Amino acid sequence: MSTLHVLSHSPFGDDRLSSCLRLIGANDALLLTGDAVYALQPGTAPFNALIAGNPTLFVLAEDAQARAMEVPDTAKAIDYPAFVELSIHYDKVNSWL
Amino acid sequence: MPKSLLIISRQAPWSGPSAREALDIVLAGGAFDLPIGLLFLDDGVFQLAPKQDAKALQQKDLSANLQALPMFGVEDLFVCGDSAAERGLAPDSLSLEDAQVLAAREITALIDRYDQVITL
Repeated sequence: MSTLHVLSHSPFGDDRLSSCLRLIGANDALLLTGDAVYALQPGTAPFNALIAGNPTLFVLAEDAQARAMEVPDTAKAIDYPAFVELSIHYDKVNSWL
Repeated sequence: MPKSLLIISRQAPWSGPSAREALDIVLAGGAFDLPIGLLFLDDGVFQLAPKQDAKALQQKDLSANLQALPMFGVEDLFVCGDSAAERGLAPDSLSLEDAQVLAAREITALIDRYDQVITL
């Protein structure tokens, strides 16, 4: 069974990202949407944790673009239709509300 | 066979509605005999701290409802051991004696076992 973990909160002053990285499985993936894309800010603690955790990583392109966050080579930028496809591809979606 | 559902409750009990709402989902699922599990993660473990008293906050006692979960058919109760340890809560002091204490790796396997998962 595989899980797509979806984060939408800023990782600064919030522990969703670190908690998610701690329990994400090898078959799982992480999708950053909304303010969660701030985790892509280079040189910050959340970014370093993200790189160290090295999950299969997707980023909602328009949210990254709106916030001037560069999507690193280790991540794949996706649009909403691809978001839908991902949701179907993985056995379940865990949205960290 | 109905789909199994795991609720992950990760907010502290008295600052907002999340803890109560997670519990309501669990109780509703239990009432419909869904195979349902409840995991306390991150600040959610504070819901299990002993000797809580929210009378002055004019809120209903969440702990009493949690104690009653097995009576409502919800017996799969889990606690993240790392979250509890980080917050200075000893596993044997938690108010939910029947809950299984799990390490992060075991939680990955736990999420795998369920068909659907809701994190509040």
